[in-house]
Amino acid sequence: MADAQPYVPEGASQGPVQAVSAMGFPSPARDYFDGGFDLNRLLVKDRVSTFIMRVGGGSMQSAGIYDGDEIIVDRSMPVRHNSVVVLTLNGQLLVRRWQIDGQRVGLLCDESTLPVVLAEGDDVSVFGVVTRCLHHVR
Amino acid sequence: MSGEHVALVDVNNFYVSCERVFDRSLMNRPVVVLSNNDGCVVARSQEAKDLGIGTGEPFFKVQRYMQTHNLAVRSSNYELYGDISARVMELLGRFGTWHEVYSIDESFVGLEGGLEQVRTTAAQIRSSIDRLIGVPVCVGVSSTKTLAKFANHVAKHNANLGGVCVQDLMDPDVLARIKSLVPATDVWGVGRKTGAKLAGMGIESIADLEAADPMLIRRKFSVVLQRTVFELNGQRCIGPVEERRDKGQVMFTRSFSSPVRTREAMEEVMSIYAQKAAARLAKEGRYASLLTVMAGTSRFAQGEASFPSTQVRLPKPTRDPILLTRLAVAAMNGLMHTGVDYVRGGVILSGLSDSPGEAQLDLFGQGGNDPEHEPVNVSGVVQDISARFGAKAIGLGRAGIAQAPAWSMKREHISQRYTTEWDELPLVKA
Repeated sequence: MADAQPYVPEGASQGPVQAVSAMGFPSPARDYFDGGFDLNRLLVKDRVSTFIMRVGGGSMQSAGIYDGDEIIVDRSMPVRHNSVVVLTLNGQLLVRRWQIDGQRVGLLCDESTLPVVLAEGDDVSVFGVVTRCLHHVR
Repeated sequence: MSGEHVALVDVNNFYVSCERVFDRSLMNRPVVVLSNNDGCVVARSQEAKDLGIGTGEPFFKVQRYMQTHNLAVRSSNYELYGDISARVMELLGRFGTWHEVYSIDESFVGLEGGLEQVRTTAAQIRSSIDRLIGVPVCVGVSSTKTLAKFANHVAKHNANLGGVCVQDLMDPDVLARIKSLVPATDVWGVGRKTGAKLAGMGIESIADLEAADPMLIRRKFSVVLQRTVFELNGQRCIGPVEERRDKGQVMFTRSFSSPVRTREAMEEVMSIYAQKAAARLAKEGRYASLLTVMAGTSRFAQGEASFPSTQVRLPKPTRDPILLTRLAVAAMNGLMHTGVDYVRGGVILSGLSDSPGEAQLDLFGQGGNDPEHEPVNVSGVVQDISARFGAKAIGLGRAGIAQAPAWSMKREHISQRYTTEWDELPLVKA
C-alpha cells in the first residue's frame, strides 16, 4: 500500500491545495465547532440545586420513569399541580405526581386512579422537581 | 445608613445537616458524626447536644444512647460534606460583592446597600441555601469581621431572630445586655489562655473587651488582640482571611482499621499517604523541604512495641509526588520490623515554602535536568487526570488501585456518597 495520503474525491481540483495540514484537511466547520454537546450544560440548569437519584419500582411508568432509571431533580423549580416531584413521606424518598386541589394535596402514581390525599399527621416535604429521566434502553 | 457590610454565613451543625439532606429520618432526633476510624464524636445535632453529648467524646461512651434515645450515628462522609460545601460556597458567591471561604462551612460575604436592604439579602441567603441545597444556615451582619462573627453568634442563640442578625438593627439596650453577658472567649480569635489572662485584668465579657484600652491590650498581649479590640469598636482592620489550615506542615496520618504487618502493605500505606500529602501541597501551591515518615504499634497491644520514625531532608523544596513517594517508601522500608502489628502510620511534609528551590540535585544517579523526571509537570498531569476522571483513576505504584485496601480508614456507619459516587445515588421509591 502506498503512503497514506489525504483522501481526495474524484473530480476535485488537482491544483495546489491550500491549507492541507499534516493531519489532513481542515474541517470547513472548524470555526463553528466547540467541542460537541456538553450534557451537563444541556441537562443541568444549575449545578448548585441539581441532584441525581436512582429509581426503584415501576409505579411511575406513565411519567416515563422506570425501575432502575436515574432521574435529575432540581430543587429550584416551582412545584405546580401535576409536577413530578421527589418528596419525603414519613422519612422515605418517593417519586410521585403532586396534585393540588384547593387546600388539599394528593400524591398520584400509576397504580391508583385516585391520588393519596395527605393526612394531618403525615410528615411531608418536597425535595425537588424531576426535570429529566435517564432511561436505560434495554 | 448605606455602605458596605460584612456577613458571616455558616451552616448549622454542618456534618449533621449534610446527612439530613437525603435522610429525613434523621430529622428531630439526636445524631452524631464520628471522627476518622469512628473514634469519637466530631459533630452533633442540637438534639444530641441537648442530651449532654460532648464533642470529642469517645464513641463507646455515647453508644448506649442508640437504644435509650434513638441516637443515630454516622461515620464521617467527607465526599458528601465536600460536595455540599462546594454548593453552598458557589451559591454564596452569587450574593456578595466579595466572598472569602473561611472553612468548610463558614464564609465571609460583602454586602452592599442600606440596612433594610442588607437584612433582606441576608434573609434571602438563608432561605435560598435552605431551598436549593437543603441545609440550614445562620447569617450575622455587621461592620467588621469580628462583629459579624458576634452577630452570627447572636443569630444562632436566639431562635426568635429566624437565623439572621443584622447588628445595627438590633435594639441598643438588648445588644448592650448581650454584650455584657457573652464571655470574651466567645469573640473570634480569643482563645482560652488569652481569656484567662483577660479575666485576671477584669475583662470578662465582650463589653469589657470592647471598652478595653487598645494600647494596654497591645502591650500586655499582642497587636493581633489589639486589632480585635479595634474591630469590636467597628474599625475594620482584619484583611482577607485565608482558609484555616495548619501553616507549618501538611500532614497525612491515620489509624488503620486492621493492622499492617508486611513490608508490602506498609509500602502501600506510605505510597498512598505520600501522594495524598503531595496533592494537598500542590493544591496549596507550596513546596516542602522536609519529609517525615512514621508508624506505630498500639499502646494497648501485647506484642512487640515499635514506633519507627525518620526524617528525610529533601535536596530542594519540592512537591513532586513521584519523588516524595519513593522517598517515603524507602525511608520506612529500612525502619519497620516485619511481623509486628502496626496500627497507624503517617507522612508529614514540613519546612514549607512558596517557591521551589533553585538547583535540582542529583538524587537517583540521574542528571539534574533529566527530562523524564520533571517534578512539577508530573504532579500537574496526575492532578489533571484525577480532576477529570476521579481521584482513583490514577496513582503511583500501589496508590493507583480502585479497591480500598484492607487497612484503609474504618467507616462502619457511613451513609452513601450520594452526590459523588454513581453507584451510591440516593434511592427513590416509585
